[in-house]
Amino acid sequence: MGRLSVQELSVTYRAENHRLTALDRVDLKLAPGRIVALVGESGSGKTTLGRALLGLLPASAAVSGQIRLDDLELSGLAETQWNDLRWRRVAMLFQDAAGSLNPVQRVRDQVAEPLRVHRGLTLTEARMQADGALAGIGLDPALGTRFPHEVSGGELQRALLAMAMILEPEFVVLDEPTAALDSGTKGAIGRWIRQAADAGTGMLLISHDLELAVALADEVHVLYLGQVIESLPGPALLNNPMHPYTLALSRSVAGLDTHRDLGGVRGDALYRVLHRHPAGTGETDEHAHLVGSAVSHAECHLPARGCLFTPRCTQAVAECSTREPALEECNGHRIRCLRGGIVTELRLQGVAKRYGDAHALHPVDLELRAGETFCLVGESGSGKTTLALMAAGMLEPDLGERVFRGRPMDSWPRQDRHFLARHIGVIQQHPARAVSHRLSVFDIVAEPLRIQQPRLGRDALRERVFAALRDVHLAREPEFLQRYPHELNLGALQRVCVARALVTEPSLLIADEPTSALDPGVQAKVLKRLLDLQIEKGLTMLLVTHDLGLARKVADRIGVMRAGRIVERGPAVRLLNHPEHPYTQELLRGSFRQPIAAPVR
Amino acid sequence: MGARFDPAAGLGRRLLADPWFVTGASLSLFLVLLVVLSPWLSPHDPHDMGYAAFAPPSADHWLGVNDGGMDIFAELLAGLRNTLAFGLVTASAGLAIGILVGLASAWFRGVVDQVLMRVADLLLAIPAVMILILLASFYRPSPWVLALVLASLAWPTSARLIRSQALGLRTRPHIAAARQMGGSSAYIIGRHMMPELFPLYLIAFASKVRMAVFMEASLSFLGLFDPTRKSLGRMISDALPFYYLDVWWHWLLPPIVLLTLLIMAFTFLAVSLERFFDPRLRAAWAD
Repeated sequence: MGRLSVQELSVTYRAENHRLTALDRVDLKLAPGRIVALVGESGSGKTTLGRALLGLLPASAAVSGQIRLDDLELSGLAETQWNDLRWRRVAMLFQDAAGSLNPVQRVRDQVAEPLRVHRGLTLTEARMQADGALAGIGLDPALGTRFPHEVSGGELQRALLAMAMILEPEFVVLDEPTAALDSGTKGAIGRWIRQAADAGTGMLLISHDLELAVALADEVHVLYLGQVIESLPGPALLNNPMHPYTLALSRSVAGLDTHRDLGGVRGDALYRVLHRHPAGTGETDEHAHLVGSAVSHAECHLPARGCLFTPRCTQAVAECSTREPALEECNGHRIRCLRGGIVTELRLQGVAKRYGDAHALHPVDLELRAGETFCLVGESGSGKTTLALMAAGMLEPDLGERVFRGRPMDSWPRQDRHFLARHIGVIQQHPARAVSHRLSVFDIVAEPLRIQQPRLGRDALRERVFAALRDVHLAREPEFLQRYPHELNLGALQRVCVARALVTEPSLLIADEPTSALDPGVQAKVLKRLLDLQIEKGLTMLLVTHDLGLARKVADRIGVMRAGRIVERGPAVRLLNHPEHPYTQELLRGSFRQPIAAPVR
Repeated sequence: MGARFDPAAGLGRRLLADPWFVTGASLSLFLVLLVVLSPWLSPHDPHDMGYAAFAPPSADHWLGVNDGGMDIFAELLAGLRNTLAFGLVTASAGLAIGILVGLASAWFRGVVDQVLMRVADLLLAIPAVMILILLASFYRPSPWVLALVLASLAWPTSARLIRSQALGLRTRPHIAAARQMGGSSAYIIGRHMMPELFPLYLIAFASKVRMAVFMEASLSFLGLFDPTRKSLGRMISDALPFYYLDVWWHWLLPPIVLLTLLIMAFTFLAVSLERFFDPRLRAAWAD
């Protein structure tokens, strides 16, 4: 058994007046018995890579770099040599392959075809083997005698999989093997793929289905515009993405066990093109662009060197558009990011607080990564609010350190008070007490801006306040703006508080029961808006709530607090589905109508 | 909790039902009106000495004429004006100092608080009247200077009152929020803390006016002001030597009555306001 490896593989497609970069110096190794997954959105180059492994790229593709099967250099092989390899040593299940089957030929005969072509078997022998293969993948052999249109999509997909494996190739490229299948079939196919891999086949799983990739693969490579942007080893993969893109991607998957509302990746999918402007426009050099349907040419003038993800990244800094990041080791992952992956927004180390003899908070560590939602849940008096106030810089810890964006928080108030204020928005617990009763709605929402940007013009101020009010679905009529807090109901007041926290466009939002007083309908809208802000601007959220249902919908990670300690914390999916700490189990049991099952050990 | 608590809500109605407040307010209004309308009420110049001395009250001279040939009613109104002005100036200045010191002490705590409160203790121990008598007899300053000196001696009571309430205010969430937004100390004190304690200022102001009026009357009675300055205290001391004549009822009595009314008016106001605001302040601001 050998190895299939790809080194520095670049592929560009030529079009009329530009070239499209599909792959950019990709390294990849497939080994027997391992499943390697390639994930990424459409246009990221996944399929191109798969096809390149079988020499199936169209003539318009310019390939550079190496593809090696054992010691055999594949790139540049003649078509006859390729034919020798295909099916026998490297096979591929094509995306949407069912459509390419011959509609007037029975399934079994099509599955048997490689045997006849490559092994020269007789029809009877080949049919027998094909029947065996179909049975092996769990299909009724009688199904083989039907025509493709008489067979369901899931069965057809399995038959195709059996066909790809029928010559027992060393490596199989599976391009979207489970797309458009129901979850039962998906699971069955997944299990079969795993079995086949365990029997010694090396697999390249190409999918935009992260969940499947995570469930099956031994390693996952995330492709973005032809570059590997993150490589994740091992099975614990996506619980801890390191690259902002992977985080966004992982939020875009609707899994059965994920409860969080779907997110998405900021902006539109882009393509990478190289082109030359027509003569006379001043730019005659061939240069790179990112293009997308919603992005104008000028907006997306990709610099000569830089991180490709910059235009859609929520944590990009100036350097990102000038220097190209290399794929580097980071906490066991390999990522391509100048900032070392998702940055840590706030780190609390051993912060503790006591009031007299009562420990409000035992030393607690808390790390918030940019763009994530961390929910603190627990009963009242467990120290949630204390911890949140400390994170907001509104309460001094007795012990411990607080670092916000790499700067110690405690030395700030003196040096640069506004820095914290600009970047941290706070929604306090009781909306009625959190606002001055002597300020009107407009003045309340405008207050942070007036403090931090005293030179902001009147119109600009109005505009920002209005935008903030719009975000929380509040009126902008003068009559409403001039009202005082005691003239508002609690729900409106809470939204005023949310607007006030967001008006400075903070990067970290600390919210203590931000929707406790809202009607369900409004609560949903406000939360939706917060999650949208997270996608667009990379808003980091620390949410304090006793509402587990709410936490389920928004949290990436959850920390369960009790008596001043975080007793359990972890990715929301894991914590909610398999709570480990007895208190978490109790808490979950209390919030479900039906008792939940004991944790799987 | 005082979520919807607004100290001003419905207050007017409830205050108007309080006899103390109504008495105090109508008295003050009456006295202020006397001062304001004095040019029309009394056609005579209080400094004009051209009338017949000791003339009894008549249609022309409502309260008669004093020993120096001056119209007593005109003198009375001028004295009331001066006394009241002294009281108001002293109270305003004293209250301003008291507010600043009280709020600053409560907000900054620590050393600032310690220093300011020790100074306050010290001033409370010094009898203001002695200092004023000494100052007035040696330097003969203008009444305004004396008013300011009195104000600078009389702030500690209100400063302590304001400080004690502001300490509770300090930890309220909306103040914490303003702090978190990056508001400076001056901003928070001026924009958030100061307006919250408004009722306290009324109480402090009323009692300060009362104190200053009394002080002015005493000093002028002792003759420590410019002798030509009209003042209720001065009138009393002028009239006293002639108490055995039957001029006492229209010369001696009116300034005494007026002074009493003035002090009463502000006492009533202070008592009433204090009763209204104080317990509620404590209940509503204990967070």
